[in-house]
Amino acid sequence: MQKHSRRAARALLLVAAALMLSAVFAGSATASPVWKFNGEELKGTETMVGGAQKSGLTAWGMTTTCDNFLYKFEIWNSSGTGKGNVTELPLYNCYTDTTCTVEAIEAESFPWPASLTTISGSNYMTVKGVNVWILYGGWFCPLWGVWAHVTGSAGGLITNATESATFSASSFKATGSELNALGSSVEWNGFFPAESFQWHREQALSVS
Amino acid sequence: MAQGTGTERFLRTFAKAVSAGPILALTVVAVLLAGCGGGSSGSSSTTVAAGAGAESASSEAAGSGGANSGGVAEQGAGAGSTGGAAGGEGSDGSSAQASPGQSPSSGRHGPPVPMPEGEPEPGITPQQRREATVASMRLESPSVTPSSNGPALLPAQYSSCEGQHSSPALRWQGVPEGTAELVLFMMNLRPAQGTLVFDWAVAGISPKLEEIKAGQLPKGAVVGLNSLGIKHYELCSEGRGETYIFALFALPKKLSPRDGFDALALRKEVTEISGNVGLLAVTAVGG
Repeated sequence: MQKHSRRAARALLLVAAALMLSAVFAGSATASPVWKFNGEELKGTETMVGGAQKSGLTAWGMTTTCDNFLYKFEIWNSSGTGKGNVTELPLYNCYTDTTCTVEAIEAESFPWPASLTTISGSNYMTVKGVNVWILYGGWFCPLWGVWAHVTGSAGGLITNATESATFSASSFKATGSELNALGSSVEWNGFFPAESFQWHREQALSVS
Repeated sequence: MAQGTGTERFLRTFAKAVSAGPILALTVVAVLLAGCGGGSSGSSSTTVAAGAGAESASSEAAGSGGANSGGVAEQGAGAGSTGGAAGGEGSDGSSAQASPGQSPSSGRHGPPVPMPEGEPEPGITPQQRREATVASMRLESPSVTPSSNGPALLPAQYSSCEGQHSSPALRWQGVPEGTAELVLFMMNLRPAQGTLVFDWAVAGISPKLEEIKAGQLPKGAVVGLNSLGIKHYELCSEGRGETYIFALFALPKKLSPRDGFDALALRKEVTEISGNVGLLAVTAVGG
């Protein structure tokens, strides 16, 4: 009888260990953040719109600022991870902090795919396939007539409290993102609030 | 009944086990952990949105205890927004669509999305695409020190205001086929007294060359007048931080300017005919 009890105990111990292991693995499997509206995981696809004021790209010691930097963004969850596609990015009132003017600027090659990640407890969104052409002008601009082709990836820190993504040197570093143009790395600074445009209008967007 | 019997037998065996207490504890912990699998991701989230405290609480509840649609429904209704309808939405979320033209209400979360004034910046015209100069060549300098945050650093020996200093070494790749001549300009990124500052201007560089050694000029090259009115490399940076641009243009036809040419005038000509450039930005250490 005592022998049976020990066997049962061992079996239970194994079951408990297996349960604990599965719990741990279940926890890490869901560590990828997902999009949520009012705390509920997004089902299907949602269209977000957002924009930044005075978002700037800095390269070669020169900052190119756009007063408004809008975007349209499709989001969904797939296999337990938040995904997205930037589909539009019209830019408004762009200029530099030098004598260079912005003759033309255009974001293209959409969609730019995006995904959510959690790094050291913070949630980030990384956008890949960034593709922006800038044509500088100005008689006294050393880059006059030159195309700057900004390409690469951009990682932004997501803040649920403000329903926004903040792109900065530190968010790029955290996500291993890099933008380049004219053989130089480009820093992108911007605070992008987001707003649901379709099914979840006026609901609180969060990532967790 | 059979189940009850099985359970009784299970409990009896369990109770007799020597380590029954710790195992029970382990099992309970494991079950709890498994039940809160999503909680680990929830723990990495920051407080949910802005607005009403009730929303935060509701979202947290949903995060840790699994989807709690009832809570969210209440919250949505409480917010008095179109999202209220979403509280009762199906899993496809289809019932929550706002009607077109619906005006935003006080239920808006987070900061407002700024609406731009005026028209978007013009896109690129086909003519601009044809005529623009592309940075297709790679221009580097072994004389500069790479910097992790900004342009590479140009050491004092190439930028000091004291004594004679020489031009840095430059090397390049990617000169397009059919190039007749290379022209190099070094310019201040920021203008001085309202005009573009040239620190160095060299024309007549053979397209076969791939480098200029420090302090030297390639054979056959001619030097233009810089902004100080002198015919050699001259850079006087009175402190760290000023950025300079080296621009090496590939010309499809020879311009063959004379020695002592006007750098600004040549620059205009070059920009109009060249489709390829190599650029290098440096920040002077000065001293």
